Amino acid sequence: MPAESPDVAWERLEGVLARVERPARYIDSEWGAIRGRDGAYRAALAYPDTYEIGQANQALAILYQRLNAEEGFAAERVYVPWVDMAAEMRKERIPLFSLESLAPIAGFDLLGITLPYELTYTNVLELLDLCEVPLRAAERTDDHPLVVGGGPCAYNPEPMAPFFDALLIGEGEEAVLDIVRTHREAREEGRERAEVLERLATIPGVYVPSLYDVVSDGAPMNARPPAPDTVVKRAVTDLGEYRPPVCGVVPYMDVVHDRVAIEVLRGCTRGCRFCQAGMVYRPVRERVADDIVREVMEGLACTGYDEVSLTSLSTTDHSQLEEVVRRLTSRLESTGVSVSLPSLRVDAFSVGMARLLAAGGKLPGLTLAPEAGTQRLRDVINKNVTEDDLIDAVSRAFAAGWRRVKLYFMIGLPTETDADIVGIGELVRGVLSAAREAAGPDRGSVRVAVSVSTFVPKAHTPFQWLGQAPLDEILRRQQVLRDAVPRKGVDLSWHDADVSLLEAAMARGGREVASAIEAAWRSGARFDAWTERFDLTLWREAFASAGLDASSIAEREFGEEDVLPWAHISCGVSPDYLWREYERAVSATPTPDCSFDRCTGCEVCRALGIDLVVGGERRGAQ
Amino acid sequence: MAPNEFRMRVAYRKTGRVRFLSHLEVMRALERSVRRSGLPYAVTHGFSPRMKLAFGPALPVGTAALREHFDVWTTRYVPAAEAMRALADATPPELAPHAVAYVAHREPSLGAAVTLAEYDVYMEGKGVTEEAVQRALDTVIGSGRLDVEHKGKQKVFDLSRSLPKEVRVRPTGSGVTATVTTRMGQEGSLRPDMLCTVALSRARCDGAVVRVTRTDTLIEEEEGPRRPL
Repeated sequence: MPAESPDVAWERLEGVLARVERPARYIDSEWGAIRGRDGAYRAALAYPDTYEIGQANQALAILYQRLNAEEGFAAERVYVPWVDMAAEMRKERIPLFSLESLAPIAGFDLLGITLPYELTYTNVLELLDLCEVPLRAAERTDDHPLVVGGGPCAYNPEPMAPFFDALLIGEGEEAVLDIVRTHREAREEGRERAEVLERLATIPGVYVPSLYDVVSDGAPMNARPPAPDTVVKRAVTDLGEYRPPVCGVVPYMDVVHDRVAIEVLRGCTRGCRFCQAGMVYRPVRERVADDIVREVMEGLACTGYDEVSLTSLSTTDHSQLEEVVRRLTSRLESTGVSVSLPSLRVDAFSVGMARLLAAGGKLPGLTLAPEAGTQRLRDVINKNVTEDDLIDAVSRAFAAGWRRVKLYFMIGLPTETDADIVGIGELVRGVLSAAREAAGPDRGSVRVAVSVSTFVPKAHTPFQWLGQAPLDEILRRQQVLRDAVPRKGVDLSWHDADVSLLEAAMARGGREVASAIEAAWRSGARFDAWTERFDLTLWREAFASAGLDASSIAEREFGEEDVLPWAHISCGVSPDYLWREYERAVSATPTPDCSFDRCTGCEVCRALGIDLVVGGERRGAQ
Repeated sequence: MAPNEFRMRVAYRKTGRVRFLSHLEVMRALERSVRRSGLPYAVTHGFSPRMKLAFGPALPVGTAALREHFDVWTTRYVPAAEAMRALADATPPELAPHAVAYVAHREPSLGAAVTLAEYDVYMEGKGVTEEAVQRALDTVIGSGRLDVEHKGKQKVFDLSRSLPKEVRVRPTGSGVTATVTTRMGQEGSLRPDMLCTVALSRARCDGAVVRVTRTDTLIEEEEGPRRPL
């Protein structure tokens, strides 16, 4: 790879940028970006989508901060160029470069790629190809960077396994340093790539796919020593030991989640049975109020943002949230700075917190997720909210000034019947009526947005053994939904069922799916998560060319004794617990949250050797 | 206008890689610089309070600038030199401020007052010589009007109004630079790169506009043009 100075590289790039959409994606120069680190070991951290989608990713921000704080290491950022830029780069023979130093990625020591969502998989291949790095790990040599994956989709790594040298399962705060130090040390000793990979396989949480052979469909993977039979996720004991990246990169262009984000807690043990995040991020670990308030104030001062979000899977569950909100509203009074909560529980307390945060300013969006239309189905999925909770929360919100609420539901859930879908319509009618009553004379301006997605059974959840409902059936249920939901005052939207089918095929498939992903990329699939770019016909052909059928994989059911494609990966929650939860689901029996009730036996604390970290008394179920 | 507020005018540049930012992106970036600087900025008293900030005429994506301006209202008097230091420390060097001063509340807004802009348009390519480009520009300007299409819209410019000064071409680097002064108005602003692109095509040069820099923005007054700061 010819080494160019950043100035020479910029001159080559300048002409190209004049011809592409949104050149701000490629120019670096942002406040907070870390440049000029004299790291002997260089890591490129990639998000497999455009800059504006990936820039705010908190996991990459943590890794960027950790690596750049370490003597002898440097990290830079890279995103997938949009199709116009990729075409220009191929035409001008410009290999994919890092933002900070405009250096070709192929010359880095490590390329880390997070896997946030199945529909970004072809973008990973696009990224590798633009980097001029062989797509498959087996074709890489000592001269290529080590390609390491991670993120939520790594919990079923198999469909992407052949493209990665290694994947980190779980949290990266500590593991990222173990990986880069081990890599550097092995290379300094002159070890070849295969030996480097063997060494990496001994790091807890690191999965090296090339050391695991597929024996036959339905049989356990054959792990070759020193690789362990099961890779157990990494998790940090105490979030408070790791300062979040408060002074991160401040982008120029409009990006998603364009604000300071402070992670106030990690993990959620509410136990919703459809939710993969709720299972794989356990146990709950809270940051303490003092740290949160200090980090928010520092983050605002050093970034210049006018908004901060207190992020987590379920922020209103934080035991000290009320104190945090009180202190922040008092300190931020008359500054024009707003504080937001990304997810609200369906309860009056949550609405009260959101109201307090708005204090005199503009009310934030109000989003509530009942998920299912009937109590029976909410008990099946362990979404422990009642219709009364929802109506009460909405009444209080509209009495306090809100005029719009967004409700999230799913269709295609296990045991669902048409009565459950009709139940969504009835629940929406109840919400609309309560909202109008609370709004009084302003009742005409009340709007209820209803967003309905299609259930995708995910790995490591109690529904992992179940198949997705067939596409035709989903389309029929969507029609039932359209007929059931009132029209006046309601904005109904639903996710494209084609996209959910592909998501399920990639979330539930094994290593054989990799060939279909590669075939789809070779046929031009890119940015599949962008509605205008998604093409199911192309994907069906790609699966067929690999001798597979996407629907069969999405709809495949497993028995308790079957070996699941992700059986060699453990998030710490025991399969026995997940099966028990599945059985309780079938009998519509709820399970409480262990963070304010007794232990429910998921075994994550024992498996990981860590415990719940809760700063005060948590609010129980309503 | 609140009686205890101060109107501070800041001159800044837009150079290097950030020339590829849109006007909206520059405005947002500088608003964040003001927040980081710790200056006591004033906020609007509305349903959704915002920093009181106003910018001069927009710059297109790709156009660099040496002397742009924004006004920010503060709730307390901060000596200009001190404000300048605080802003410089809180701003990426490519958007760095280079002058700060207070202006009277009664002064018209930058958006309305600034009507002249000077540009350097750098062109390169086969056949791009000082003589050829000057001749082609003179011919285009001599025709009195320019028809351009931008984002699917047709626009016609009266060049005697849009170009208040002679356009001069000089050799620079391996190409030429044309210095173009345009008058901005409600009917739209002539983009100097478009004028030069039309001229290059008339001259049958195999060249292109490579870089555009707005070198100055001016307020027209009876005594002649003056800088906003």
